[in-house]
Amino acid sequence: MRQAFLIAALAAAPLAAQSPRTVPGTVVMAVGEEPTRPFPVVGSKSTAEADVADQLFLRLGGLDPSLRTAGDNALRPELARSWKRIDSLTIQFELDPRARWHDGVPVRAHDLVYTWQLMNNPAVGFNGLATLEPIESVEAVGARGVRFHFRRAFPEQVYLAGFNLLPLPAHLLERLPVDSIATSSWASKPIGNGPYRFARRVPGDFVELRADPAFFLGRPGIARVLVRFVSDPVARKNLLLSGETDLLENVPQSNLAELKALPSLRLVTVANNILLYALFNSRDPADTARPHPILADVRVRDALGLALDRQTMAQSAFGAGVGVPDAAQSQIWAWITPRGMAGQPQNVPRARALLAAAGWRDTDGDGILDRNGQPLRLTLLVPPGVRRPFAVQVQQMWRAVGVRADIDEVDRAPYTERRNAGRFDIDFAAVSQDPAPSSLVQSWSCATVGVPGSTNVAHWCDSSFDQRLATALTSQRPLGAWKGVIERMTAWHPAIFLAAPVNTVAVHRRFTNVTIWPTRSWRSLWLWQVRPEAALPRDR
Amino acid sequence: MRGWLLRRGADGLFTALLAAVALVALVHALPGDPLAAVLGERTATPEQLSALAARWGTDQPLLTRLSRYFVALAHGDLGFSMTRGVPVGAVLLERLWPTVLLGSLTLLIDFTLGLALGLWAALHPATWRARLLGAFTIIGYAVPSFVAGMVLIWLFGIRLGWLPVAGRSDVLLKMDASAWEIFIDRLRHLILPLTTMVIATIAVPIRQQRAAVQGVMAAPWVRAARARGVSPARVAWRHCWRPALTPIVTLFGLWLPMLVAGAVFIEGLFAWPGLGALIAEATAAHDVPLVVGAGLLLVAAVQIGSLLADLLYRVVDPVQRDQ
Repeated sequence: MRQAFLIAALAAAPLAAQSPRTVPGTVVMAVGEEPTRPFPVVGSKSTAEADVADQLFLRLGGLDPSLRTAGDNALRPELARSWKRIDSLTIQFELDPRARWHDGVPVRAHDLVYTWQLMNNPAVGFNGLATLEPIESVEAVGARGVRFHFRRAFPEQVYLAGFNLLPLPAHLLERLPVDSIATSSWASKPIGNGPYRFARRVPGDFVELRADPAFFLGRPGIARVLVRFVSDPVARKNLLLSGETDLLENVPQSNLAELKALPSLRLVTVANNILLYALFNSRDPADTARPHPILADVRVRDALGLALDRQTMAQSAFGAGVGVPDAAQSQIWAWITPRGMAGQPQNVPRARALLAAAGWRDTDGDGILDRNGQPLRLTLLVPPGVRRPFAVQVQQMWRAVGVRADIDEVDRAPYTERRNAGRFDIDFAAVSQDPAPSSLVQSWSCATVGVPGSTNVAHWCDSSFDQRLATALTSQRPLGAWKGVIERMTAWHPAIFLAAPVNTVAVHRRFTNVTIWPTRSWRSLWLWQVRPEAALPRDR
Repeated sequence: MRGWLLRRGADGLFTALLAAVALVALVHALPGDPLAAVLGERTATPEQLSALAARWGTDQPLLTRLSRYFVALAHGDLGFSMTRGVPVGAVLLERLWPTVLLGSLTLLIDFTLGLALGLWAALHPATWRARLLGAFTIIGYAVPSFVAGMVLIWLFGIRLGWLPVAGRSDVLLKMDASAWEIFIDRLRHLILPLTTMVIATIAVPIRQQRAAVQGVMAAPWVRAARARGVSPARVAWRHCWRPALTPIVTLFGLWLPMLVAGAVFIEGLFAWPGLGALIAEATAAHDVPLVVGAGLLLVAAVQIGSLLADLLYRVVDPVQRDQ
């Protein structure tokens, strides 16, 4: 299997080495959701909004290409020029004195304190609060010092605070009631502190960003970014084929050949943070106090995984390069166990043997296994969309080993409600994983069972897994410890991991210094440049 | 006439109100937590959930929610979109104009060119041109609109590069572009979606009009006119066309809501920022206030279409007018 790069860096020469002859440059991209609220905390619900917000707002620090999140050197300075550890529970960031909001006001420590307060205001409904739970408080130390106090010691403190907290301009928003920020004049033309300024939004059509010539980290190499809103994937592809846009991410398998044939484009493969999986419920959906009558048995869970030809299913949906891990490990965590992307292959005889060992036999000859008069029958909870084809294939493959699976495809809202309430046997879930593997805690650890707001909706609890997780969270040598975590999950089978796709991105060849990031593809867009000899009229 | 108009208007208003009550009640009673639009597949803390529920009113009983909604509606307030956090009225207004533009031009072409071609086909039934027209209309009607759209995009947008393949305007157009430049740009973006819409819809008025005119041509007054030596053009215009308009007026009334609903597939394929695409997005995201707002707009459009059709009946049919 072709190994995906963690990030794609094309002609990644430093800016200073570029030709002195430059053109302003324009990037036109199409996104599937309308970026109506491209700002952090009170906006940014969709990927498109977060992508635009990344151009307008800076983090305290950015990840380096290894995507490792542990250690005090995990980040590269952005809004903060440095940070120092006060003690095991306290870190202080120093803001870059050159950092300015787009209205010229300096970025102050108070902006971070205000943003932290907003995040914690329940009325805001900020969805990253569970991730930031280890942060106890944020305090301003003078105008530019920001001190983070943590609840416990762990190696990802710098990453957690520096990467996940994007400040908002307190001097503009502080006087507004919380629930009116999203409808304020600021929201219609957000003022940020990033490399691009918000120029205009044509509703339903596009958003235009202009480079901030006074950006303190250097003038952006691309002068203008146009983000078109195109909900239909066919229309997005057509725009690229006609040359009206320059980029397309998550290129579907079916379009690869057509785009490859275009000489103006190059296709690059980047690690993706998406993971599709069939989550087993550890509890009886009718009474969560009881273990699941079928799925509580690890032999059954193992057998259900072995009965599937996951490689074929994943490749037919996502093409070559897709990973099929045995644990909750998307491509961005391939650094933990690089071979973990090739999970165990289909083994129908072994699946049958395991089911027989668990007491499941076809006593009435109807083709469905049974035990004590109860058939081996499970319901697959499936939301509308791309997960259904997987469910249909799973249903057919399980039928071959005597397992009856009924697909229960429900609309998005009832799906979410049933999932969060644990009313399912098997949930066809998808997750966008955080770069930090410590986020495994939220979905798989005993500490989150029954905790309101946790994503451990299947109530999974394995003391051995938790022990290894605790070691990894505090280990000074995290790689080996995280390997242990993944190994334990592989043996424990809380879910069948169906696909860890890569992100295939199409980029116009005239761009140079291109870096594409896994979780936020366009974070380094401001460093891109246009080769003058290949410039298009729209670049001038 | 005025009395009739008032009675008809009151009837329409009452029907619209009933439809609105049914729509709002049905959408609010749909299974699933409406907060899913805000939260997606994420979970939230109990404090966050209760704050969000209080903010969106989802913690109230259905009847309370409905009464609050209608009180706000009476003040012209359609509420806030749960996915966008902005007033529903503002979102609908943003998307209404592109849809009205595309829909009204489609109707205009369908009911001018379509009627003229239908009349011509009825008057020249045995010619090869009429047969060719019949074949084209059948093909246009049978081929799914998105297929026709894809072919046009491939030919004129990708292969020849003559026309833009998506959107309502050129994102690269200068912000200080002249009115003429803007007009030409909008026109260029309109051609492909409009042509697709017309191809998909024009067959119906052509065939309706042809059948209606052919029916009228057998009427005694037409034969009498011919026997009197009235010219064929006068027979067609004066004695055939106008009486044959009644079924077309019905069609017009039924199609008028297309102005508001747009065409979901075509708007999606051409990234046309209209209401059709918005309704599809809002429904997929379970954005209840936005779905209800768009639905109310459709109810209003149906009523206006019906009222306009009744008015047109009275114009084209003197018997109706006298009644």
